[in-house]
Amino acid sequence: MAIFRMHIPFLDEVKAKGLRQAGRAKADDLVTRVTAGLNPSDVRGLLRDDPAARPNPRLTPHAEGFWLHMRPTYYHTLVDGIYPTFRLGWLSTFFFVFEIITGVFLMVYYTPSPDAAYENMLNILGNVFFGSTMRDLHKLGAEAMVLVVALHMLRTFVTGSYKKPRQFTWATGIILLGVTLFLSFSGYLLPWDQLSLWAVTIGASMVEAFPPEVVGQTMNLIVRGGPEFNADGLLRFYLLHVVLLPLIGIVAFGVHYYKVIHHGHSLPPEAEKVGEDTAKRVPLDRRVYFMPRIITRELFYIVALVFLFLAAATFFYEAPLEIKADSLVTPLHTTAPWYFLWLQGMLKLGDKVIWGVIVPTVLIGLLLVLPYFEVGPSRRYGDRRIGLSVAALSVAAIAVLSFMGTPWYGVSTSAEQEAVATLLPQTHPGPVRETEWEAIELGTFTASQYTAAPNPAMAALLETFHAEVLKVNDAERSQAEGFMIVEDWQTDLRKVTLRVVWTNLADNSPGEYSQVTYVHRQAAYNRGGGS
Amino acid sequence: MKWQIAAGMFLVLGLIVLTLGLALSEMPRMELFKASNDARAVESGALLFENSCRACHGPQGKGIEGVAPPINAADLYDGSRLAAVGWSGTTEDYVRNVIAAGRPVPSAGTTYPQRMPTWSDRFGGPLRDDQVDSLVAFIMNWEDRALAEGGGAAPPPVVEGAVGTDLTVSLPEGDAARGQQLAEGALGCSGCHVLADVGPAWNAVGDQPGVGTRAATRFTQDDYTGQAADAQQYLVEAVVQTNAFIVSGYQANIMPQNYGDRLTGQDLADLIAYMNSLR
Repeated sequence: MAIFRMHIPFLDEVKAKGLRQAGRAKADDLVTRVTAGLNPSDVRGLLRDDPAARPNPRLTPHAEGFWLHMRPTYYHTLVDGIYPTFRLGWLSTFFFVFEIITGVFLMVYYTPSPDAAYENMLNILGNVFFGSTMRDLHKLGAEAMVLVVALHMLRTFVTGSYKKPRQFTWATGIILLGVTLFLSFSGYLLPWDQLSLWAVTIGASMVEAFPPEVVGQTMNLIVRGGPEFNADGLLRFYLLHVVLLPLIGIVAFGVHYYKVIHHGHSLPPEAEKVGEDTAKRVPLDRRVYFMPRIITRELFYIVALVFLFLAAATFFYEAPLEIKADSLVTPLHTTAPWYFLWLQGMLKLGDKVIWGVIVPTVLIGLLLVLPYFEVGPSRRYGDRRIGLSVAALSVAAIAVLSFMGTPWYGVSTSAEQEAVATLLPQTHPGPVRETEWEAIELGTFTASQYTAAPNPAMAALLETFHAEVLKVNDAERSQAEGFMIVEDWQTDLRKVTLRVVWTNLADNSPGEYSQVTYVHRQAAYNRGGGS
Repeated sequence: MKWQIAAGMFLVLGLIVLTLGLALSEMPRMELFKASNDARAVESGALLFENSCRACHGPQGKGIEGVAPPINAADLYDGSRLAAVGWSGTTEDYVRNVIAAGRPVPSAGTTYPQRMPTWSDRFGGPLRDDQVDSLVAFIMNWEDRALAEGGGAAPPPVVEGAVGTDLTVSLPEGDAARGQQLAEGALGCSGCHVLADVGPAWNAVGDQPGVGTRAATRFTQDDYTGQAADAQQYLVEAVVQTNAFIVSGYQANIMPQNYGDRLTGQDLADLIAYMNSLR
C-alpha cells in the first residue's frame, strides 16, 4: 500500500479526449469556479446583455459566492435611477474601501512618533514612488467621504427612509457618520505638522470642558496622552485611526447593509401608499437584475471615480503640509477641520460646557433616536412640512455656524496683526511666499504707493497690504502706513520685513508692528496644485 | 449598459496612461520636492538665527567684537578655523556640533567672555533636531559669499586715540542719536542689555527706571564697590572697567573688558549721552 497516491484527473481526460478538448473543458470549468456559477457562454451572454436563460444562471453567484451573497439579485426599477438614492450609500462604501487601500500604502511608511512622523511625511513626499499621489488621494478621499456620508444622512431624512421599519438602519447610520467624522479627525493629527496639531487641539479642547471638572480633565489626559498632545496622544490617535475606528466601522457597516438589504431599498415616498412598505414586493416586470445591469454600472463607477480622483490628485490638488508641529507656537487663525467648523462656531456663542459639550451631545443623541420618536406614518413630502423645514433650517444653521467657526467671525486680533497676516498667514503659505521669487525685488516699498511698484506681482501684494493697513485707522489711531522691506540676505535668500506704523491719537506717539520672513528661490510654494 | 462598458474600457486605458505618465514624472517631482524642502529649511533656519543667534553673533553672522565670533567668515568655510581647533570632520558637522552641544571652553587665543550655550534639546537646550538642522542649513548657505569675500576673523582693529580705562577722562559733547547707532550696531550692547536678559536692561522695565536714572544714584549705594564719584564717572566705569562693580543678580566677567581699547572719547561720550537719555 502506497503511503500516498497522487492522481491528476486532468491527465485521464487528456488521455480520453485529447489535449485540446480536455484543455477547453478545463478552461470552462475554471471560469465557472471563479465566477461561482457562470460558464463562459453565460459570461458572454452577460456582457452582451442577452436575455437571461431560464432558470436564470446569473442568480447562481448570489447563492454560491461569498461576495455576491451580500448583494440582492435584483433592485426595484424605482430605486434604480439616480433619484431617490443619489447613490450616496454606495459612494460611502466606495470611499471607505478607497481609504483603506490608500491608507495601507501610507501606513507602510509611517511611524506614529513625534520624532519620526513629520520626517516620514517628508520621506513619503520626497522619496517614495507615488507617495505624494497616494497621500493626496487619501486626503481627497477622506474629504469626499465626509461629504458623501453627511449627504447620505440628509437624503435619508428627506425621503423619510428612516421611518418604520428602517429605524435601526438609521441608528447604525448615525454610528457610521460618527465613525467617518472621527476617522477623518484622527487622521488629521498624524502628519504632525502645525496645521494638524492645532486643528486637532481645537477639536479636542471640547473634551476638557466636560463636567464635572475631574471627568473633563481625566478625559483630556486620556485623549491627549498628557496636558498637551505628545507621543502618547499621537500613538492613541494613530491606533484609533488604523484599528479601532475601522473595526467599529466594518462591524457597523455590516449591520447597516444587512438591514438595508433585509428591508429593501425604500421606494420613493410618492410611489407607495401612506403607511405601506412595498420595497420587498417587487413585481416581475419592475426588476432590474444585479447581473448584468448593476454590476456593470458599479464597475464603471469604480473606474470613473478612480480616474477622476487620480486626475485631480495629479493636476489640481496637493495635500497641505506645514512646518513641523510645535506645541509652544500657536499659529494665528488656526481652525478645526471644515467638518467641525460648526462646533468651533458654537463654541464662540458662549459657555464651553453648554455649547461645546451639552448641546452637541444632546443633538447627536436626538439624531440617534430620531426614528423612534418621530413616528408620523407618512413619508410623503407634502405631509412632512415640519420635518423638512427642520432639516432645511438645520442645514442653514450648520452653514451659518461653520462660517462663525472661521476666523472671519468673532476673533479679536488687532488690525495691524491682521494686515501682516494677510500677506504672511501662519496657517498656509499665503501671497508673499507664493509670489515668484524674482518678483520680490530688493528695496523699501510703501503700501500706499502700490502703483509705483516695480512689477505687477509686487503691486498686487502692496495693494492687498494697503487695503488691510487702512483698517488700522480707527478712533484711537491714524496715519497708518504699511512698508515692505526686502533685503538681500544670502545666496538665493531674501529677507522680507512687513511693517505697519501709525500714530496714536491720545498722545501723538508713534506705533509700530512688524514681522519678518525669509524667502528662498527654490522654496517653490507657488508650484501649484499638482503633485 | 453598452456605453458604460465602452466608457469603462476607455477609462481603464486612461488610468493606465495617467499612471505611466505619473510614474515617469515621479523622479523629477521628488527631486523638486527635496530641493524645495532644503530651501524651506534655510528659510526656517534664518528665522531661528534671527530669534536665537543674532543677539551675540550679529544680524548677518559677522560676529560682535568682544561678544561672540563671526560665523559668516571665510576662515570657517576654508578649513583654517577647523584646523585651528583641531576638528577633523566637515564644516557642516562642526557647525552642527557647536550649535547642538555648545562650546564649554573657548578656543585658544580668544577671549570671548561667554561660552556658547547648548541649543539642542538633547543637551538641555530649546531646539529640536530638525531645528538644529535648519540652522545648519542656513549657516552653510553663507559659504559661497563668505569665501568670495575672503578674509577671516580679523584681529581686533587698533583704535586711534582709544579712551583707556581712566574714569576721570574728560569727554567731548555727546550725541545720543549716534550713541544709539553704536549700541545697536557695531558695539552690540543691545544684544545683552535690551534683547536678552544677560545684563541689566537699559530701558525702563516695570517699576525700574531707565539706565540714565539709575546711574545718577547707583554710585551712592551702600553695596557699591567701584571708584566713581558722579553719574558720568559711573557710566564710564561700567563701560571700560566692567568688573569694578557688578549689579546684584548678574555675574562678573560676562561683559567684554576691552571697550577701553575699542572706543574713542567721542564714541564713549555719544554712548553715555544715549544711556543718559534712557530715563
